[in-house]
Amino acid sequence: MSNDAVGKVRWNVRGVPVAEAASEQAVNRPTIPATLGRAGDLVHAEPVMGTVVSFRVFPGRAGVDSARAAIDVACEVLHEVDATFSIWKPDSPISRLRRGELLLTDMVPRVAEVLELCRHAKASSRGWFDPWAMPGGVDPTGLVKGWSLDIALGTLREAGFEAALLNAGGDLVGFGNPGRGDGWRIGIRHPWLRDALAGVVQLRSAVATSGPYERGAHLVDPRSGEPAQTVASATVTGPNLATSDALATALAVGGDDAFDAVASLDGYEAYVIGADGSERATPGMVFLD
Amino acid sequence: MKRYPFVMGATAAGLAGILSFHSRGTTGLLANSLPLKSGPSAPSNSSKTSTPSTTSPPSSNANGSSGPTSTVPTTVPQSPTTTAASSATGVSEQYGYGTLSVRVTVTGSRITDVKVANLQTIDQYSQQLAVQVIPYLRHQVLSLQTARISGISGATYTSEAYAYSLQSALDKLRFH
Repeated sequence: MSNDAVGKVRWNVRGVPVAEAASEQAVNRPTIPATLGRAGDLVHAEPVMGTVVSFRVFPGRAGVDSARAAIDVACEVLHEVDATFSIWKPDSPISRLRRGELLLTDMVPRVAEVLELCRHAKASSRGWFDPWAMPGGVDPTGLVKGWSLDIALGTLREAGFEAALLNAGGDLVGFGNPGRGDGWRIGIRHPWLRDALAGVVQLRSAVATSGPYERGAHLVDPRSGEPAQTVASATVTGPNLATSDALATALAVGGDDAFDAVASLDGYEAYVIGADGSERATPGMVFLD
Repeated sequence: MKRYPFVMGATAAGLAGILSFHSRGTTGLLANSLPLKSGPSAPSNSSKTSTPSTTSPPSSNANGSSGPTSTVPTTVPQSPTTTAASSATGVSEQYGYGTLSVRVTVTGSRITDVKVANLQTIDQYSQQLAVQVIPYLRHQVLSLQTARISGISGATYTSEAYAYSLQSALDKLRFH
């Protein structure tokens, strides 16, 4: 019963789940077709995982109809991951694992896969990202949203579109060159001025920002158990959103030690705004005009 | 503990309201929050690589660290010598834990200085937090309109907050 949701996911040879497009198996959600924008791009906003995931896809030669269908499949992936990993849904597999009703070996392989990524992110961040230190049992929420977007983007990439950008509540992943061909330009939100930016970066693959300004002091220092409050905004760029998101969370609670941990990782860059207004970035973090 | 982000947010909102009051644009805060890069006296070089800020945040110790890192310099808006500066103090804003008013100096069309003119807080802790906001606001801030961006990275917002977010505005813009 607990595996109903994940049973909808087929697995292709690369281990990437492919959602059934069949409507009778769709998770309960209104089907709102993606809208065609000025530049020939498709735009879609999907409420899922407690936030809204924005899609922007430049179909290229693959065509608009193909892109519409692919966005729909990608949304299915997001809902199915949510059904598996939401700790707010009492019957989700992860909730039953947390309550000790099910063992990890009872679950589809991707639960173990996510927890393995969590272990890796914990080590990479010197323990500042720690799903096992959260109250109520293991909580992979800080990594799984990014992980699901990596998979969703993977389905769009495999479909051969020109460029795509996904934004899940402020964490983004994308590929390709939209429009003018200079890549995706991503603004880093100013932590205290709602309608302003603290900087602009070029998206390579993924960018995630964490901070207490949007949802209150929800960021917990895994070592003290207290809300973290020395960092106003922590941004990490990297090759995938799963790890980038986890590291941004680590950076928001871990101060200088977490910063040094991220700085030592290949392919990841960090940009931190302190609660005192100070700014710090790793040498490879490139800001655009 | 929980009031920390609220104090910050409310203070920033109060400041933003005061700042937009002094601007002449008609498109609201989005277009004219703090110095625009396209302003007449905007420095011609990159906002992140010009002269280091002369503003030292109180109790800042992050810049003294060593290691494979660099501190990002920020730009203090420069005043052209040909335009006279004028200053005005905004009305006092209630921000939840006290009252704040800000003195803004405008040179030409750019805000060149922001100072706290009056700050009364319920307790010392709130005052400490509110004062910490001010140095950062003196830094150059990018306007969404001039940044030509496709997405915004920020702390995760909820479905409800999405409706008021910049990303929502971006998504809508694509429809027109």
